[in-house]
Amino acid sequence: MNRAQAPEIKLIESVSLPQFQLLHLDNGVPVYVINEGEQEVVKLELMYKAGKWFEEKNLVSDFTNRMLREGTAKHNARAIADKFDFYGANINTGAGYETAGAVLYSLTKQIDHLLELLVEIFTESTFPDHEFETIVTNRKQKLAVELKKNEFLANRNFVNALYGQNHPYGRVTEFEHYDQMSTADLKAFFKKYYHTSNLTIILSGRFDEQLIKKINQFFGAQGNGGEKASENITHASEPAKELIQHVEKADSVQSAVVLGNISINKKHPDFLKLSVLNTVFGGYFGSRLMSNIREEKGYTYGIYSSFVSYPHGGFIEIASEVGKEVREATLNEIKHEINQLRNELIGDEELQIVKNYMSGRILRSIDGPMKFSETLKGLILYNQDVSYIQQLLKTVREVSSEELLELANKYLDYEKMYKITVG
Amino acid sequence: MIKFEQFQLSNGLKVIVHEDPTTTMAVVNVLYKVGSRDETIEQTGFAHLFEHFMFEGSVNIPEFDTPLQNAAGENNAFTSNDITNYYDILPANNLETAFWLESDRMLSLAFEEESLATQKNVVMEEFKEHYINQPYGDVWHKMSALAYKVHPYQWPVIGKELSHIEQVQLSSARSFFFKYYRPNNAVLVVAGHVKTAEIKALAEKWFGEIPAGEKIVRNLPKEPAQTEARTEDVKADVPVNAIYKAYKMCARTDADYHATDLLRDILSTGDSSRLYQELVKEKKLFSSIGAYITETVDEGLFMIEGKLSEGVSMEVADAAIENALEEIKTELISEEEMIKVKNKIEAYMVFGETNILNRAMNLAYFEMLGNPDDVNHETEKYTALTREKLQQIAAKVFRKEQSNTIRYFSNN
Repeated sequence: MNRAQAPEIKLIESVSLPQFQLLHLDNGVPVYVINEGEQEVVKLELMYKAGKWFEEKNLVSDFTNRMLREGTAKHNARAIADKFDFYGANINTGAGYETAGAVLYSLTKQIDHLLELLVEIFTESTFPDHEFETIVTNRKQKLAVELKKNEFLANRNFVNALYGQNHPYGRVTEFEHYDQMSTADLKAFFKKYYHTSNLTIILSGRFDEQLIKKINQFFGAQGNGGEKASENITHASEPAKELIQHVEKADSVQSAVVLGNISINKKHPDFLKLSVLNTVFGGYFGSRLMSNIREEKGYTYGIYSSFVSYPHGGFIEIASEVGKEVREATLNEIKHEINQLRNELIGDEELQIVKNYMSGRILRSIDGPMKFSETLKGLILYNQDVSYIQQLLKTVREVSSEELLELANKYLDYEKMYKITVG
Repeated sequence: MIKFEQFQLSNGLKVIVHEDPTTTMAVVNVLYKVGSRDETIEQTGFAHLFEHFMFEGSVNIPEFDTPLQNAAGENNAFTSNDITNYYDILPANNLETAFWLESDRMLSLAFEEESLATQKNVVMEEFKEHYINQPYGDVWHKMSALAYKVHPYQWPVIGKELSHIEQVQLSSARSFFFKYYRPNNAVLVVAGHVKTAEIKALAEKWFGEIPAGEKIVRNLPKEPAQTEARTEDVKADVPVNAIYKAYKMCARTDADYHATDLLRDILSTGDSSRLYQELVKEKKLFSSIGAYITETVDEGLFMIEGKLSEGVSMEVADAAIENALEEIKTELISEEEMIKVKNKIEAYMVFGETNILNRAMNLAYFEMLGNPDDVNHETEKYTALTREKLQQIAAKVFRKEQSNTIRYFSNN
């Protein structure tokens, strides 16, 4: 046996997508159903168009969502927590830029006990002041701790430089923002956005058809409750004039480094190909940034790049935490790697590895009902069809070094990037 | 229920196969029975540094990651006090690539000076990122040293100090490898879209010729019973006062383990748990609080940590935690609370099984503990517990003389 000889590798030529159904409840709420897998579990995700994009005051979207677990007309916060926990379930609420809602994880045999309460928190929440005050106080403390972390500071200075304080993607939270909102703001936001016209449901796991009927009973019987969230809301961004910002921290042993600029999002036709370029650049463990700055130079524990995509915008971000004494050297290496991609074709062998690696990542993104539901959610946010997954695989397989060189010249420009450092 | 088959090669390598035809992927998980507890006090952080070194090329293959990525795979590893665990996830039809790579680095490494030097730098940056340049980042260093006086759990996995990593020599990497990274000290689990017969052939082909090493005999010093409460005060540039309490608890394989774990759930799993409800929501003494256990092969720690609300004194906060623990010791928990934590643990176990990597790692871990089939009997060990048993274990664990407290004061 020749151990120097690698076993033969089979390329991934196609993917077969897991089965799923798109149904509509009696009131029109779309429900994506993935009924697969071995374990008798349910993941029930409710997504409302109630994210940060729609708020008029900082924190309102976040706190409206957070307060859903803090009291309804029939149950106080304690009773809500007791009931979800008693049946072994987990409920995670969370607000993003576009949508906000909850994910309920439950054993299939217990879910019947929980649907009524789940509906209740989305329809009859009361936003009690005393619970609100406790959560506000605790969140302020959390912010105080976060503000001591260089990585946190660099990230917030970075998005703020890209978009400015009046844009949801750039807005950073100051202590006084907590005092500038009240439960009245949350109630108004709740009324305006948390209703079935804004709702999409993703149901995954292994269960019988009865569950879909019950979900229809609970969520399909509600009237549509209000107007759909407007598609026409826009926010003006105010990018910072200075591209270079440094905050010195005398006692730091490392500096957090974030670089990047406004770019395209998933809706743009170049995005798929660009995701291949990004993988080569800083999108996986074997990327150029990792190979050079971690594996050759040993400047950092990790360095990554990504084209961050939101429904209304996007940017490229390169982030790392590096030894303080090699901060400038790191920036120079990033610049060097960008220029390499702009000036020289990516070699065949390297490109093939990236293509193979990305094909595997696509397979993993649809393996099992839980994983597939996550991937599906990402598509729903952009009104994309599941054929996007096949299109991604096709692009990965077909994109050429010449096209990537062109994209590098179009989308990677060190001189135009913000360089934000803290530490 | 995780079905599996197992066999052993003549060099001592334990192999476990878990077939799951519903996935297109395969997982190869290699667990080495070596962790930071096998280090000496002069050379801490070594097992973890060595984990990094395992990716730097083996005797016949210049580098680990690239061929695996080329086979559409992904991989990672972690080091704990007790084990070092490596895993590869790849499409099942490229499974042999993982066998080729994992067996070659078990056979022997490239042992190059230059790659050791780079990984020393990378690990020192990891040390700085997570343990120095973070508010409260040094607490685990302090707590390990406070709670353990003779057992090697007295230093954290990352290492006691940066200089230990800086000083590592290639010669010690070599002897460490040939002592611990031998087939008779490892567990190989293959899971996913695979067949046992095929795995038998592949295991024999790739791992069969690797020579066995000497049998590992551990003579770790046993931590003497703690007889006096220990407290350490720290002043640091942190924004908020915090308290950390560690109580001595049993080993992972001890009969009391499951009861201790359920006590943790009662105190801190979910929003309905006692510490959150009583100390955050009702009394508002803490802005956040939680409990966890270290789950170690030798005797471990039951940890409680909380951040104090503004204006609350350390004494009041500490007393409130002790009071909550006293309650479990003196009052039988309700039937309802008992059913709740059992339901919680059952759901946790079933959800854990939805992930194939998790299944593979668990099989390897329970084999290391003694019997892979134990993974399928965990839930029943929890459901068999009584309220009286929990009360009894609470009285055993939550004793002041077995407590270690770090009071972290903000100097702002």
